[in-house]
Amino acid sequence: MTRGSLRFIWGVPALLAAATTFGLAAALLGTGAWRWAAWGALALPIAACARHGLRRQRRDPAS
Amino acid sequence: MPTTPAATPHRPPASALGAGAARNDRTRRLRTWYLVHKWTSLVCTLFLLIVCLTGLPLVFSDEIDALLSDDAPFATVPADAPRVCLGTLAADALRRHPGEIVTSIYVQDDAPAVWVWLAPSWKSFANDEGSRHYVKFDAHTGHLVKASGAPGQQARSFMDVMLSLHTDLFAGLPGELFLGAMALCFVAALVSGVVLYAPFMRHLPFGTVRAERAPRLRWLDLHNLLGIATLAWMGVVGVTGAINELSAPLFGLWMRTDVTALLEPWQGLPPPAIDQLVSPQVAFDTVARALPGMRVTGVVYPGSDQGSAHHYVLWTRGTTALTSRLFSPVLVDARTGALTRVIGMPWYLRALEISRPLHFGDYGGLPLKGMWALLDLISIAVLGSGLYLWIARRNANGARLAQLARAHDAPARAPRGVA
Repeated sequence: MTRGSLRFIWGVPALLAAATTFGLAAALLGTGAWRWAAWGALALPIAACARHGLRRQRRDPAS
Repeated sequence: MPTTPAATPHRPPASALGAGAARNDRTRRLRTWYLVHKWTSLVCTLFLLIVCLTGLPLVFSDEIDALLSDDAPFATVPADAPRVCLGTLAADALRRHPGEIVTSIYVQDDAPAVWVWLAPSWKSFANDEGSRHYVKFDAHTGHLVKASGAPGQQARSFMDVMLSLHTDLFAGLPGELFLGAMALCFVAALVSGVVLYAPFMRHLPFGTVRAERAPRLRWLDLHNLLGIATLAWMGVVGVTGAINELSAPLFGLWMRTDVTALLEPWQGLPPPAIDQLVSPQVAFDTVARALPGMRVTGVVYPGSDQGSAHHYVLWTRGTTALTSRLFSPVLVDARTGALTRVIGMPWYLRALEISRPLHFGDYGGLPLKGMWALLDLISIAVLGSGLYLWIARRNANGARLAQLARAHDAPARAPRGVA
């Protein structure tokens, strides 16, 4: 994946936005398994924040 | 809010051809977006912090209410036990408050409770919210579960304070419209933030947090990460929050247009006297029979400015996660108990009804509420880091100005220095 490409910049954010939208809709429209799917999907943006936000980074990946 | 792209080490690279003009153009555009981001954020940050902090307990209001409740327990009865007639409960409530009127009855469907709402008169009901009060009964035994204070005597609970801070800042409709405008500012800040995200992240993999560099850089990275990861959620909650703040004007519009037109045939006819009304139970049964797939949740008495002078208005809703949020009012002739008609809701009230669960997060069980709370906390971190970046940048600008001022003074002393 080339740095600076659309996919490089927006790939993960778009995925997280899609997961969030799916999760919000699934809990509203479905029951049972859909609810579990909704919880799983909505956990993704939170997990991304926790994984990258709480990690102690030793190396600057840009350098 | 990130610093201006021009001031960062990761400025967007100019396109290969026509570099100079294209770069200037893009820099100018980004600078405009930066200003939009900065000012929309600054305008709403303080209010959004209040909204986020008060929203945290509000997400769990059902659980907190249940925990703090000192209601008498409901009787344990078989599932198909008969319920007490609504007319009997209304009469019981009126015996406890002689001279008052029943304004509506709320039939709870997640607990065997019936709430009879009263007011001294329709006039005080319309003009003074503090005059409205309720008596709550056990639907199976008719025993008193709880009574709110007499008119004007209700104590404001902790959750009432949270709700008011969250929705109108104790300022009624003007407060609601103001916070609605703040929600729109927040949405504008999100949009401009997305535009600014790309130039910052052109060379950084998603999630990069440069922790070992200057604190400002680290907070900028965190601001970008948390903001973009939760963007869709913040967008949905922001937009639905703005729509929710419009509920009073939207209901008013509906009453003035559709409902007024619907009640036109009864215009000018003498309304029924209180002793001419059929029992609310008759109206309830009429609707339950006519709409078997719906649950009746409330009966509004004739005379309310939120209803008809000649009809009971029964509020019904479906039974799934979505349709239980979509209400359909039904008119029942108050003299005969016959069904007059089911009222269709306009699109803007449907939009409002769908906005409620998407804003409250109360439609997917306790796990969804937990995630709502976590996303709320992340939003607070985005607001806080944005505020920090703004202050840090102001300080940096101050330092740069001081440097410039020193440089300006310097030539006078320079000869000595040089010599």
